Amino acid sequence: MGEKRKSTSKTLVKSKKSKGPHLPNSILKTIADAKRPLNSDEEDDEIDSDDVNGGDLYEYEEGVPEEESKKNNRYDRVDNYEYELPEDFEDEDVESDDDEDGGNSDNDDEEEGEGDDDRHTRMLQSLTGMPSAAFKGESKSKPVLFTEAYPESEFNPTRDVLEGKGLITMEDLLAPLQGKPGYNELSKRISRMQKDTESVVHAPLPKPERERLERKVVKVQVEKEFNKWVPLVKRNREVPTVYFNQDVNLGYSTIGAIASEFQPRTEFEKKMASVLNDSEVWDAHKEDGARLLELNEVSVEDHIKDRNRVAKMRSLLFRHELKSKRIKKIKSKTYHRLKNKGLKAAAVALMDPEMAKEVAMKQEVERVEERMRLKHKNTGKWAKRMISRGLNVKYDGTRAAISEQLQVHETLSRKISSTKDGSSSDESDDDEELNNGSDQDTPSKLIAKAREKTLQTVEDDEVPNSGLLSLPFMARAMKKKNEEANEEAKRALEEYEEWENSGGAENLKKSAEVSGRRVFGATAKVEAPKESKRESDNFYDNSDSDNDMEGIENNDLGPVRDIASPAKNSGAITETEKFDDVVGNPASKTTFDVALFASGSWKKMKGCQNAESKKPPKTLVPISESQNKKELRDEESEDSESEAEQMVDGILTSASKETYEIPSQADLIQRAFAGDDVVDEFEKDKQAVLNQEVPEPEKPVLVPGWGQWTNIQNRRGLPLWMVREHEDAKKKREQALKTRKDARLKHVIVSEKVDKKTEKLHTTALPFPYTSKEVFEHNMRMPIGPEFNPATVVGALNRPEVVKKAGVIIKPLKFEEVNPNDKGDDGNHQKQRPKKGSKGQSKSKRKTKA
Amino acid sequence: MEVSSEDNNLMEKVVPPVEQEIDVELETKVKKYLRGGGANLETLKDKKLKSQLASRENLYGKSAKTAAKIEKWLLPAEAGYLETDGLEKTWRVKQTDITNEVDILSSRNQYDIVLPDLGPYKLDFTASGRHMLAGGRKGHLALVDMLNMSLIKEIQVRETVRDVAFLHNEQFFAAAQKKYAYIYGRDGTELHCLKERGPVARLRFLKNHFLLASVNKSGQLHYQDVTYGQMVASIRTGKGRTDVMEVNPYNGVVALGHSGGTVTMWKPTSQAPLVHMQCHPGPVSSVAFHPNGHLMATSGKERKIKIWDLRKDFEEIQTIHGFHAKTLSFSQKGLLAAGTGSFVQVLGDSSGASSHNYSRYMNHSMVKGYQIEKLMFRPYEDVLGIGHSMGWSSILIPGSGEPNFDSWVANPFETSKQRREKEVHLLLDKLPPETIMLDPSKIGAMRPARRKEKPSRGEIEADKEVAIEAAKSIELKKKTKGRNKPSKQTKKKKELVENAKRTFREQEHKTTFKKRRIGEEDAAAVGELPTSLKRFARKY
Repeated sequence: MGEKRKSTSKTLVKSKKSKGPHLPNSILKTIADAKRPLNSDEEDDEIDSDDVNGGDLYEYEEGVPEEESKKNNRYDRVDNYEYELPEDFEDEDVESDDDEDGGNSDNDDEEEGEGDDDRHTRMLQSLTGMPSAAFKGESKSKPVLFTEAYPESEFNPTRDVLEGKGLITMEDLLAPLQGKPGYNELSKRISRMQKDTESVVHAPLPKPERERLERKVVKVQVEKEFNKWVPLVKRNREVPTVYFNQDVNLGYSTIGAIASEFQPRTEFEKKMASVLNDSEVWDAHKEDGARLLELNEVSVEDHIKDRNRVAKMRSLLFRHELKSKRIKKIKSKTYHRLKNKGLKAAAVALMDPEMAKEVAMKQEVERVEERMRLKHKNTGKWAKRMISRGLNVKYDGTRAAISEQLQVHETLSRKISSTKDGSSSDESDDDEELNNGSDQDTPSKLIAKAREKTLQTVEDDEVPNSGLLSLPFMARAMKKKNEEANEEAKRALEEYEEWENSGGAENLKKSAEVSGRRVFGATAKVEAPKESKRESDNFYDNSDSDNDMEGIENNDLGPVRDIASPAKNSGAITETEKFDDVVGNPASKTTFDVALFASGSWKKMKGCQNAESKKPPKTLVPISESQNKKELRDEESEDSESEAEQMVDGILTSASKETYEIPSQADLIQRAFAGDDVVDEFEKDKQAVLNQEVPEPEKPVLVPGWGQWTNIQNRRGLPLWMVREHEDAKKKREQALKTRKDARLKHVIVSEKVDKKTEKLHTTALPFPYTSKEVFEHNMRMPIGPEFNPATVVGALNRPEVVKKAGVIIKPLKFEEVNPNDKGDDGNHQKQRPKKGSKGQSKSKRKTKA
Repeated sequence: MEVSSEDNNLMEKVVPPVEQEIDVELETKVKKYLRGGGANLETLKDKKLKSQLASRENLYGKSAKTAAKIEKWLLPAEAGYLETDGLEKTWRVKQTDITNEVDILSSRNQYDIVLPDLGPYKLDFTASGRHMLAGGRKGHLALVDMLNMSLIKEIQVRETVRDVAFLHNEQFFAAAQKKYAYIYGRDGTELHCLKERGPVARLRFLKNHFLLASVNKSGQLHYQDVTYGQMVASIRTGKGRTDVMEVNPYNGVVALGHSGGTVTMWKPTSQAPLVHMQCHPGPVSSVAFHPNGHLMATSGKERKIKIWDLRKDFEEIQTIHGFHAKTLSFSQKGLLAAGTGSFVQVLGDSSGASSHNYSRYMNHSMVKGYQIEKLMFRPYEDVLGIGHSMGWSSILIPGSGEPNFDSWVANPFETSKQRREKEVHLLLDKLPPETIMLDPSKIGAMRPARRKEKPSRGEIEADKEVAIEAAKSIELKKKTKGRNKPSKQTKKKKELVENAKRTFREQEHKTTFKKRRIGEEDAAAVGELPTSLKRFARKY
């Protein structure tokens, strides 16, 4: 800016006069006054500095005369403006320029403005009415104003020069040399040089602009560089699977491969290798084992030693086995008990003999104490009291309790006495055990034994002469019991005899083996008195009774009978059983076998046409008496049964027609209209379900006592909000009913209950990338497992996003040409089975994962 | 007349098929394997997801195509069919006619086994169709190898046998006997007595879930896990006694037919029936499910067979009049057999797959007097097994069985090693009982929205935003000159938005009110906070 000023110094005179808008003085003054207090500190400072130079009125002065002068002169203002404006607008730093302008203008005034000054003072005079001297003084003082601290010289460059504004041109430098020898030459050279260069070296652009430019260029370059990679990266992003390092050879993959390169290093290894790699051994291996044996020679001594050792071990083992076998065979409980005890005692004794003694003593004391206490005799406090007060006579319960006590005592005491017998009882125990163990092999023995036992029990029922049992009622009871027992025993004895007579060893065996629900043949008879099959049938089960089976029995297939479980015992023999006993042939009982229908009844026929002709004669046996019993069954069973019979009848007989009963009129009507109001019922059901699943809102009810203070409230009825709430709830319910699946379907109720257990089978939120439920569910519709897809596609369907080898560093992406129009998918397809050798291909699969 | 029986016969069409035809055929097959097509990806905004899904969809397409091709070219056998000339009707074809036409192996499947003594027979086949179990009402249980027609084991339990069912393979079977149900081994040994169920009327085994379902005489439905014996569910149906029970093979839902003409469908995890349908005015006598689970056939005592669509609305598709079926059975290829008295009728789906129209396909009358008890198609064979009062019979129904078996699913020629392997696989793939539901394809999908009594905070927020947006987008009316100033308009708009907000503020206030009362200590805690932290305390 400054330099421009200098170069256009002639016009400056006019230009500098333009200062702000051309306003009347008075206005300017007021403005100035108004501004002053408002101005910031900086401005104040400026003003201060002005004051120092006596320039308090400076601005004011300067602005005004110029304006005035212009007005007076009536110069074409337009010209001035045209000149001025662009300069003003070009200004960037307005404030500083103003300052400079001020400075410059001062200087200019000094240098050139004599005439001007005169006019100026005159004008001031006329305006203010003050003597011109005052202004003169002022104006005179003006030249005194210094803007620079030092005189202007080359040693004291002005600020302009320092800032590079006041440029020293080549002419300036040459001027003093003018006329000196060599000047012409110099000037010529310089002019030539100027011509040569012509262009002036401009000042460099401002830094930000320069940088901006630089950035622009760099951007273009970088973009070019980067765009090259775009297709590659894009492709890698789009492929469903990225492969890394497919071409890297990881080396050994098997232990065998590693082992194959083993080199023996240590002494031992070398020896081993020499043996292993011995060609003789190898050959022997290759051919057959014979040569190997030869190679594997053992010295005679070694062999004998070994043999002896083995023999010794064997004999030891054998002896041990024998010993343990013998011990195990001993069946005596006492022996074992003693043995165990002995072992234990030995253990204790081993620990400490004194302690063992102590323990023994303690045990003994305990035993004696127990014997002495007689807890169960009627010597207790309670029992004594009861007896003394005669309560035992009065109350049945008490009496029973006391007698029970006594009984317990009796048993206890008997036990004691039996223990006194000692080893004899043990023996008998053993015997029993033995028998129990072997009873399956010797049934006759068992029978004999049983008989013996029963006889024994019958015989040795002596009544004790004293004690409670000698009381008359007890005696009576005992007698009764004994009689019963005797009877039973007799029956049992009879049975035993029968068995023995019938040689029923086999039979028995069978009965012993058959376990569970079913028993065949004669064993049935044993339990027969305790059965009440009919009763149980009627009780448990209406439709299908065991009488089905009786039908079979009668069809001469043998008396197959379902023997009920022991739970069914009570009551007397039923008709069925009796009937069975009459009809049943004892011989057939024994020969009965499970394979009832094995061969005889199996008929395979070609075509059904000839089925009738080949009917087995067996089936012709009419259904006999057993049918009479069917009356007892209820209707349902009759339905099913009669069906079964009819089919028999259709071919065979008309026997079942006798059993058919014409149902009563009421029954018929009931059957005919059984399902009449089914639809109505269903509707009711539906309503019930709806009410349950979408419950009806509760009716609004006032709490008694609330809102009943006055009649007014009573008259008004329920508060409005309650009614509204109720209506809202109703509407909601209707809406819910409408949205149900079965809303439009009259004949269907679809439950909309939420099953909490199934909730875990659904996702609560959409999985990450998905944004719409529909898309997600559509994508989930296809199973991807090997069961549902062809083997060729399963791999592709289940391939992970990244395929890499474990432990191999992923190298950064390498550049490679990619056709942007090429679809990533094809590339993927190629990569399905990357070969180790195909380096070029696998390189393209690398990708940096960002 | 030409009759061709399936699988083993090698009479294949030699006519070179036109390419287009193949394409069309392949297309339909691909569609089947695509399981309903992908979602519309255009609606997605996320580009990355879109490309991912597109590639996935591409793979699915590939898979379906390969599967279709495999089905087209690699499956060896064709389904059997019955072809008639001119006026001949398929239902006039008799078994004797068929015998003359088919190969020896197939003709061996026509037979009657006469066992007159032990009552009407119930039948059950294993999934592979290799083994059959026959249970005579009077206690005769027989396990038969159908491939070489040999009796593996028969036992006489000397009790009424009401129903029989195979468990997961022929090694075990269950029989509903007089008092309890029992599980027997292949060799006839009694393994378990299922006492908990009471006297069982019907037994069914759910293969994928390893559940033995039974309904007892008092109308209780029991589910028992046969792997570890636990009773998974015991449900009182409350509909009285029933002996109509069938399992939907598609989803494992058990259907019961009741005397009131209703059919109820059950799952073990709920005490209430999933579906409750009024099917007939009279008692329901039998129920059967199509193997794909979409169709159900019911028959009522009022001499009608009805076919229902289970997919959407449980609508009745078709009613077949004048035939009371005591037992119904669907074949693998969708033929429906109905038996009553001594007469068997087989209905075929004459129309295409989309609209079901069942009409007469074949008839068969047994010897008069034979009462049919149970019909069951033998899997992977064109054979219908008939259990009746005089034993059991087997007849040929061309086109009933699936011609190609998948050895991963069921292998009729299984070796014992394979069977063992399969058993382990089955056990590993056992489905928990919760997975029984009407639409199992919904497993893994989003949880169906539950109706809530009060909207959550987030929902309120969302609603609020919607309301505010709506308020903002309201176009104000142009009013007269003085009142149409922009300032006024903005003011008005602000008011509208404020109003919209206010309603929600009240709601929020309501919801939070109670909370505030409960958490009064929290408020006190805020008071205790140092002043610098107070501004972070939540303001109520």
